[in-house]
Amino acid sequence: MALAGMRDALSLPAWVVGFGLVGIGSLARDVGYPVEVAVLSTILVWAGPSQVIFFASIATGAAWSAIALAIGFASLRFLPMTVAIMPLLQRPGQSVRMQLLLAHYVAVTAWTEGLRRLPGMPPHQRVVYFLAFANTCMLVSSIGTFLGYYLLGELPIPLAAGLLCLTPIFFLASLSAGLRHRGDIVAIVLGLALAPICDRFIGGGFDLIVAGLVAGTIAFFFRPRKRGP
Amino acid sequence: MTQPIPWLDGPLWPYLALLVFAVLPTEIWRWLAVAFARRIDPDSPALEWVRAVATALLAGIVAKLIVAPPGALAAVPLFIRVAALAATLAVMLVDRRRLLFAVLAGEAVLIGGAWLAASA
Repeated sequence: MALAGMRDALSLPAWVVGFGLVGIGSLARDVGYPVEVAVLSTILVWAGPSQVIFFASIATGAAWSAIALAIGFASLRFLPMTVAIMPLLQRPGQSVRMQLLLAHYVAVTAWTEGLRRLPGMPPHQRVVYFLAFANTCMLVSSIGTFLGYYLLGELPIPLAAGLLCLTPIFFLASLSAGLRHRGDIVAIVLGLALAPICDRFIGGGFDLIVAGLVAGTIAFFFRPRKRGP
Repeated sequence: MTQPIPWLDGPLWPYLALLVFAVLPTEIWRWLAVAFARRIDPDSPALEWVRAVATALLAGIVAKLIVAPPGALAAVPLFIRVAALAATLAVMLVDRRRLLFAVLAGEAVLIGGAWLAASA
């Protein structure tokens, strides 16, 4: 089962996340933080958007409170995501520590793949499979972050730009892969449009939070009121 | 550049900053979910709102990274960066399961465009 998890991760998802986090290495290097912090951010934060906000906000001189707030809000999605996946992984007699460990791996990739594959699996094999899958993704991503820290500056500009652009491209692709209804579409379109506008008019690094709150709240009213069967 | 908090500054500051301002605000939601997993209704309006704000925030990050990009990406003309996003979006709109293909399409536009712009 562990091998199956590794194999499924290496069949594609691990590479997508791994390449997507290459840019984190160079962002960390740009603000003068050591390579250990870049790699640790991949292992301990395990959320591309949080890592991007962290290093990119430091580069623009945002207040620490604004950085933490933006990351907190960007990570709120993990609450419903974790709530949704935990029942698939819970076993009788499982320790809280084990559950916290499992929850740590909840991020776009392991979550979408987990929700897709775990239900068809016998419950006693799921934890091993999930851990193998997620740890493989994390290992590949850590190597990607490490390489990005040292390599990105050495590459010709089109290639370096291509690696840096993997993060926004991958986010946008994941966002559109997760679309559920028109409310999500409104959230994405308004978020894309408002962020640069807020960036121009709101200072102190709070622009992203304001854009997210305004766009998200408007999108909330566009959600379908009644759930179909 | 955001400066370290003076009385906490030192060689370990980047580690401390990462733990307090990045790991904690991210991880806390996963922990809360474990703590309250049985009592949270994933379909409640409050969580719907949270999801909408989180989605918009992510889209906002994408826009910021494209409009005010870091490092070498800034050397690529804006219209090529936007075209790369458009290519990704176009593939996803055709088939939402083609994530890899969408990423590759965006990358092809960006790297190809950057190459042409640099050699023009």
